[in-house]
Amino acid sequence: MGKWARIRAQLLAQPSTVLVRGREGKYDVRRTISVTATLAAALLLAGCGGGSTETSNGESAEGATLVVYTNSNSDGKGEWIEAEAAEAGFSLEIVGAGGADLTNRVIAEAGNPVADVVFGLNNMYFEQIKAEGILEPYTPAWSSEVDPGLGDGEAFWPLVQQGIVLAYNSDAVPEREAPSDWTDLWEDERFHDRYESVNSLEGATEQIVMAGILTRYQDESGDLGISDEGWAQVQGYFENGSPAVEGEDLFARMASGTVDMGQMTISGLPAREAEYGIAAGVVEPSVGIPYAVEQVAMVKGTSKQEETQRFIDWFGSAEVQGGFAEEFSTLPANEGALELADPAVVEQYESLPPQDLDWEFIRDNISPWVEKIELEYMP
Amino acid sequence: MKTSLRSMVRSPMVLVTSVVLTWFIVTFLIAPNVGLLATTFFPNGEFTPRSVDKLLSSDRAMKSLGNSFILAIVLAVTVNIVGIFIVLVTQYFDIRGSRILWLGYATTLIYGGIVLVAGYKFIYGQNGFITNLLLNYFPGMNAEWFTGFLAVVFVMTFASTSYHMLFLTSALNKVDFQTIEAAKSMGASTLTVLWRIVLPVLRPILFAITILVFLGGLTALTAPQVLGGPNFQTVTPLILTFSGSTTSRDIAALLALILGVATMILLAVMSRVERGGTYFSVSKVSATMQKQKITNPVANAVVHVVAYVLFVVYTLPILLIVVFSFTDSASIQTATLSWDRFTLDNYITVFTTQSAFEPFIVSVLYSAAAAVVVVGGLLFVARILQKYKNAATTVAEYLLHIPWILPSTMIALGLILTFDRPNALIGGQVLTGTVWVLLVAYIIIKIPFTLRMLKAAFYSVSDSVEDAARILGAKSLYTFRRVLLPIVLPTAAAITALNFNSLLDDYDTAVFLYSPLYEPLGIVIKNSTDGDNISDAMVLTLVYTVLLMIIMGLSMYAVYGRSVTSRRKKRPRALPEVPDQPATRVGREPQPDDARVTVR
Repeated sequence: MGKWARIRAQLLAQPSTVLVRGREGKYDVRRTISVTATLAAALLLAGCGGGSTETSNGESAEGATLVVYTNSNSDGKGEWIEAEAAEAGFSLEIVGAGGADLTNRVIAEAGNPVADVVFGLNNMYFEQIKAEGILEPYTPAWSSEVDPGLGDGEAFWPLVQQGIVLAYNSDAVPEREAPSDWTDLWEDERFHDRYESVNSLEGATEQIVMAGILTRYQDESGDLGISDEGWAQVQGYFENGSPAVEGEDLFARMASGTVDMGQMTISGLPAREAEYGIAAGVVEPSVGIPYAVEQVAMVKGTSKQEETQRFIDWFGSAEVQGGFAEEFSTLPANEGALELADPAVVEQYESLPPQDLDWEFIRDNISPWVEKIELEYMP
Repeated sequence: MKTSLRSMVRSPMVLVTSVVLTWFIVTFLIAPNVGLLATTFFPNGEFTPRSVDKLLSSDRAMKSLGNSFILAIVLAVTVNIVGIFIVLVTQYFDIRGSRILWLGYATTLIYGGIVLVAGYKFIYGQNGFITNLLLNYFPGMNAEWFTGFLAVVFVMTFASTSYHMLFLTSALNKVDFQTIEAAKSMGASTLTVLWRIVLPVLRPILFAITILVFLGGLTALTAPQVLGGPNFQTVTPLILTFSGSTTSRDIAALLALILGVATMILLAVMSRVERGGTYFSVSKVSATMQKQKITNPVANAVVHVVAYVLFVVYTLPILLIVVFSFTDSASIQTATLSWDRFTLDNYITVFTTQSAFEPFIVSVLYSAAAAVVVVGGLLFVARILQKYKNAATTVAEYLLHIPWILPSTMIALGLILTFDRPNALIGGQVLTGTVWVLLVAYIIIKIPFTLRMLKAAFYSVSDSVEDAARILGAKSLYTFRRVLLPIVLPTAAAITALNFNSLLDDYDTAVFLYSPLYEPLGIVIKNSTDGDNISDAMVLTLVYTVLLMIIMGLSMYAVYGRSVTSRRKKRPRALPEVPDQPATRVGREPQPDDARVTVR
């Protein structure tokens, strides 16, 4: 049994993994009515005097509503956090969007920040936001429980580690014939046109896959800090891959036999395997796999600093992160939360060691890289 | 006819409208967008040719740019052919079952985007019905035949006939029937009548529609993405990717400007042609249109067959979308149906989550407010632009098309950056982060489309109607309210409904602008379908689409449904509301301009 097969067995054995999506079924009619009424009033009342205050005022007192920006609210995560936070005495308004969009929104709003706290974005995005001077440094109460190297040890702090793997359909590709690293995909003809290449670089996962390949070829004299050999790898990746199809899941394409492998986050695997009846294997490159670490940070200029800090202290704590990990089968950064999680699962996760990535180098170059790849290499 | 500025300011209605319009253009069209473009192209105060160099050296960008233009030009032809045909068979010719046909053709009004493309893929794609059918007869054929340029053109041709269904239909009903009768009694054939009498009257509306179709082809996104394959990708995905990122925004802006300039050139040409003629029939005795029989039996049979084949093409995708919204994602991905796979779970999921239902209300309110404001305001503006022609109105008209030149992402970013501090133009208020900024953005985005269609509607009103009202002593506002408005109101209502529908599931604008308290539907759909864990994304998309179709269907019915079922009763109402009846029927004095009267 391969490593991934064991992880899968563990995940499937857990009672409340992603396979059973936790959703808060409680329906509050009054909330719906109040939302309707206030928005209708706001939009119908002509004159712009009254509209500008909803989000930016508010007291620093306990219980003040916090505006939370996140790219990690799908699959019931947003509802779960809202419900748990409400029990702990927090009132949250969650703004959800994809990683790149959310980052752009935070940066654009620098002059008049709407968010109080941002979480879920990975190092790459937070480094960009931090470079714009939008984050307020804060050391959470749980800072000693996490590896400071996962965050920046100053403004943003790690919550969840998300491994990005090259997954394959083990029915089509037996484990001993599987590639041993990403580079095999274009170097070995057996895999040509059998793997899915990304069709967009807008998502964090796709960008990190590219960064994970490119940073191996760091070269100061090369174009954008990458040697010609490095760019040749990217060219090979796109030339020999089968481009992803909008609206068609990788596993759907595996099921229909169009492709046999492609990139996927670890926590995204179990649900798909069950849905499509595919047993997936994961490639274990010797350099390790890229881990996107989801972080949390306070936005500079929030009028609710104390409440925001209280929220960060609560949200990153071992107890909450442990519950989150249990509910959504993620790997928490908090070591205390790791202890609460199933040791077997944690051990299996740790058997896929993280690739050593220079996040500052990636932050400074990812945008030009994406631009170059989009213009020159993507089909 | 040129009119001086001085004659414009004499009317209080014109004066007020002009002042408000000038303020709006400066505040919301020029300040944010020009500011953003300036910082994009002139980062340090001087122009950097970086983006031009990058584009020229990128094969992918040049090729997809070329593809976008090819698609736009081809669609301008194919959509007009199909669009004119379906309007004629439902409104002009006597075809059996034309009501049913109309319903089938009208399905494009209530769905679009990725789901529409998915619907076609269910039928013609790798595992699709038609493909499987063909495979039975031609076992050797390529199962992935439905891909590339022809597939994109096929899908987009049928998806883009909505404007014909709405605006061409209403224009056709304004054609004077007595002219047709007269031509026929003089021995003109069915084709001659169509070619020489009916189509010329429809020209202004066909111009407006062609511009919209051309623009739709240029900015095509989902159809090429899903069906284009490696050989036919278009430029919009590139623009969307680059427009958010600070470092690559200049490339996005440059690409968008290229598309924008092309659209403006087309617009300028069309405007010249539009001004060259008058597009109402000279006879003012209104007679109700009667459906024409096709006398040639062979032609009649052919038209019937083609009409019903098109009906099937139009309705199959929507049928499958509804059916598959009750199945699981494995069924959808493999396009197979079996009874034990049917379930109500998808709908239960959507309706039992708090965060899934509220956004419907938020989006309905935003879309309705924006749709009403933009049409209400532009009714005055379009009227002025059509009536007074001078340098000022020409400049204003082109400025109002700015939102067509820029991708909506950049319009949103421009608003955030301009109004994130107290701004004198809006009385020292801050807009960023409020509920207003999204409404403003929606209004801005819908201006060019609304203006084009309303202007075309005003062109189809005879000057003599207005002259008559003025001779009888009606003030300009009264004339506008009681004479002109009732005539253009059906078109205005249709535009309102279309604007409303197109804003309901907006994502590109909302993602940057929505207030945390009021999450719109597009955000929810995207979040629920983009998740890392979820694999039934397509199922939820279908469920949301079906729910959206219901809302959009209702909105179309509200403004259109009754006029379809009782058009014959409704039509004569438009003119008799003019105060003094006989005066409106006075034949118009020949004027020098009439030398170029297109219709006679």
